[in-house]
Amino acid sequence: MFGLPDEFTPTFLAHLERLRFRTRQQFAGMGKGAHLSPKRGSSLEFSDYRHYSPGDDFRYIDWGLYGRTDKVYIKLFKEEEDLLTYVFLDASASMAYPAADNKFHAAMLTALALSYIALASGDRVMLRVLAGSKQTVEPTFVFGRHRIVELARRVEGLKPTGEYDFASTLSKELAAIRRAGKVFIVSDFLMMLNSITKGLSLFLAATMDVTAVQILGGRELAAQGLDGDVEVVDSESGERVRVSISERERRRYRETMLRLTRQIKSFCLKRGLHYSLYTTDNDFQQFFLRAVSELGLAH
Amino acid sequence: MGFLYPGGLIFFVIVPVLIGAYLARERPARVIVSSAAAFRALRGFRRERFGGLPRLDWTFFLETLVLCLAVLAIAGVYVLRPSNPLAVVIDNSAAMQAKTSSGQSRFQLALAKVDAMLADEDGGSPVYVYVSAPQPHRFGAPYSTITEARAALAGLNPIDAPNQQSAVTAMLTDIASEGRFNRIIYAGANAFAAPIPPKIHAIAVGDAVPNAGIGSFSLRREAFGAEALHAALTVGNFSTESKTFEVAISGDGRELARAKLALGPGETGAVEFPSLAPAGIYRAELTPPDDFALDNVAYATAGAVRSVPIVFVSPTPRDADGLDSIPGVSVTTRTPDSFTPADLAAADLAIFEYTVPKDLPPVNSLLVMPPASDPVFDFTTTAAAPLQIAGWRNTDPLSDSINFRLLNLQRGEYLAQNQWMSAVVSGDGGALMLRGERGGHRFVATGFNPFPYLGRRNLPMSILTLNALGYLAGLGQSSAGFRTGQPWLVPAGVTRVILPSGRKRRTTPGTLFTDVDQQGVYDLETGDGSRTPRAINLADLSVSDLQNLPQFRIETTGGAEVQPANEKSSLSSDLIIAIIALLTLEALIAYRRRRRILAEA
Repeated sequence: MFGLPDEFTPTFLAHLERLRFRTRQQFAGMGKGAHLSPKRGSSLEFSDYRHYSPGDDFRYIDWGLYGRTDKVYIKLFKEEEDLLTYVFLDASASMAYPAADNKFHAAMLTALALSYIALASGDRVMLRVLAGSKQTVEPTFVFGRHRIVELARRVEGLKPTGEYDFASTLSKELAAIRRAGKVFIVSDFLMMLNSITKGLSLFLAATMDVTAVQILGGRELAAQGLDGDVEVVDSESGERVRVSISERERRRYRETMLRLTRQIKSFCLKRGLHYSLYTTDNDFQQFFLRAVSELGLAH
Repeated sequence: MGFLYPGGLIFFVIVPVLIGAYLARERPARVIVSSAAAFRALRGFRRERFGGLPRLDWTFFLETLVLCLAVLAIAGVYVLRPSNPLAVVIDNSAAMQAKTSSGQSRFQLALAKVDAMLADEDGGSPVYVYVSAPQPHRFGAPYSTITEARAALAGLNPIDAPNQQSAVTAMLTDIASEGRFNRIIYAGANAFAAPIPPKIHAIAVGDAVPNAGIGSFSLRREAFGAEALHAALTVGNFSTESKTFEVAISGDGRELARAKLALGPGETGAVEFPSLAPAGIYRAELTPPDDFALDNVAYATAGAVRSVPIVFVSPTPRDADGLDSIPGVSVTTRTPDSFTPADLAAADLAIFEYTVPKDLPPVNSLLVMPPASDPVFDFTTTAAAPLQIAGWRNTDPLSDSINFRLLNLQRGEYLAQNQWMSAVVSGDGGALMLRGERGGHRFVATGFNPFPYLGRRNLPMSILTLNALGYLAGLGQSSAGFRTGQPWLVPAGVTRVILPSGRKRRTTPGTLFTDVDQQGVYDLETGDGSRTPRAINLADLSVSDLQNLPQFRIETTGGAEVQPANEKSSLSSDLIIAIIALLTLEALIAYRRRRRILAEA
């Protein structure tokens, strides 16, 4: 619809427009917005007092306090600014397998939906791609809901390929973005757990409000289509593992995958991160309706 | 049950090795996955790899079964079957075509009786079927059941060849002497003379059939160069009544002559047609018809009707001009320098005048005044003029009808006695005409040159020349002809023979042609497509005598008693078929499964 993926129906877009980002801390923005900023400003929310100095706007003198203390104080209010939103989209080779699961498409939809929520709220969005065939997405802030079409066109030009180290890549990304804000990382997180925790910890240390969205394939999670003796080849590292898959092995594989997701989720919750898991065998729109709080969103 | 090669069971030892190889050789399907990390955790659970426990799926058991079957096939597992087979001997000779009073032919009657007898036999007994003509032999492979044998017998037909009495008797004696046959059923025209071996059950369908037939049909050219042919037929009356027969001769479908002949019971007579017009194929038909139609017709072809090709080799080729005046002769002249042996390939005879070939020629040859001391013939000559004839053979085809006193030979040479040629005409100083055979060919040598004297001016010389040419061309002789069931050598140049039925057989010159079971005209086709007809007739009149058939006399020996026997029936071929079927099935299923995995992954 209007250059957006088919899943972005008018109903779904209307639903997204009703959503707002929920942050656990205040971030300084780049312009006027709807989110409280740590800066002093002119909003209605009281922030603090300070002694009156000549030149201050006497409309903000707290006359009641002057009557009680016989001292002149100026009321300070918080500033309301836009929220800087960073959406990191994993476009590594692992997102392309299993092909039947369309994991990358689901990740792309998730990234666009989050971007649209931000743009519809008047916030600025920077979409950043991890790995991938070619960087068709410029790492700059976009503003205004109409820019979602531009983002969609650029994201659709991506092809998942290559590999990357999660921790070191996020470290470089952190150095590039500088300003703190809301961070969404959309990935399958099929990597070593310590690399994941290390990368996410870096963002926490930079006072980012991080949400991890894990995208897994339904067939991938069940090892569906694998039977008998199989030589599995890692799509990124090329590592080959010879396994013989029967029902028992399939069950153990699923347990291993679920354990990995549980470990990521546990880390996120302990460290104050949002975490949500989407498996591609579920309806994407339903996922967004139900996972509002997990994604760090609010109506 | 047992093993033909029990040593083969040693291969069971390698079955575990082969199972190991099976486990090692299995190549897994390769699938790209998003991450191999979770699969790494599974490695500890694998049980299928070499050195681990085999996965006991259907493939494992199937291949183990295949291995065991292979070992059993190598060991030659067999089962014992009681094997006292039944022998059925069917007379399929020409005489079995005769119709009986019931309207059926003897052969049909015999088959019906044999079939009825087999229907009462134990169905599991193996059956050996033998036929008597053209040579006694076993028909097909041994049939394992009565049903198979009955089906095979139903497809049999009598041929146009006669039985060879002695060969059939010998075969019956042989199989009657063998202890393995439980029973021998014979069905044919001939009866058995007592004592009949007890295991032989004879079905005689040889009821006397009044018959008349043509025994021989021959053509000859009375004189070399004559166009008209002389036909001679023998006719036999093998009935109990005197009859008048009529013989009609047709040539190439057109009736040429007809003659009547009265014969008493058992009498044989001859019919001659002295002047038949030239034709390619002659057919003689005897009327009135009887119950054995085969011998009422006979065929003949006149080889001399075609022109006789002659190669004339001489330093003076013009001497051959006189030969051209003889009807039915075509002459090709060569000088000694231009002559090659290949020139004789298409010739019936060769004439060498004043010269001899370097090798013995492969055709009948006339040598006119040959030079002395050649390495092939080694003639010794003495020139003389005039020549005086001193003697000649009276009963010789070369000297027939010649008044030698009128023969005036002006000049020539006397030929000394040759090692393999004998004198027909002799003079004062030696032989004037020699003849002999070598390498299957006829050779005539003369010490004088007859060709300048051909014609009415010198009639004896002309007759002598024609006698010589006729002798060398094989004409003027009664030919025994070709008979059904008697193979003949394929003539030079013939690459294909077309049977009377129209079927074609590829042939190699010089080899025996054995597909001679039908009476009729066979076409001999050469490489250039030209055809020469050849008539094949039923044998002589003894075959036509359907009233006085000779009896078989079987000389039994001590081995005639039936000895209980078991036949080892190997199951190896069945096992190999089963192995191939199982492996094919496995390959198909494995291939489909692999495709499905790759498609789904």
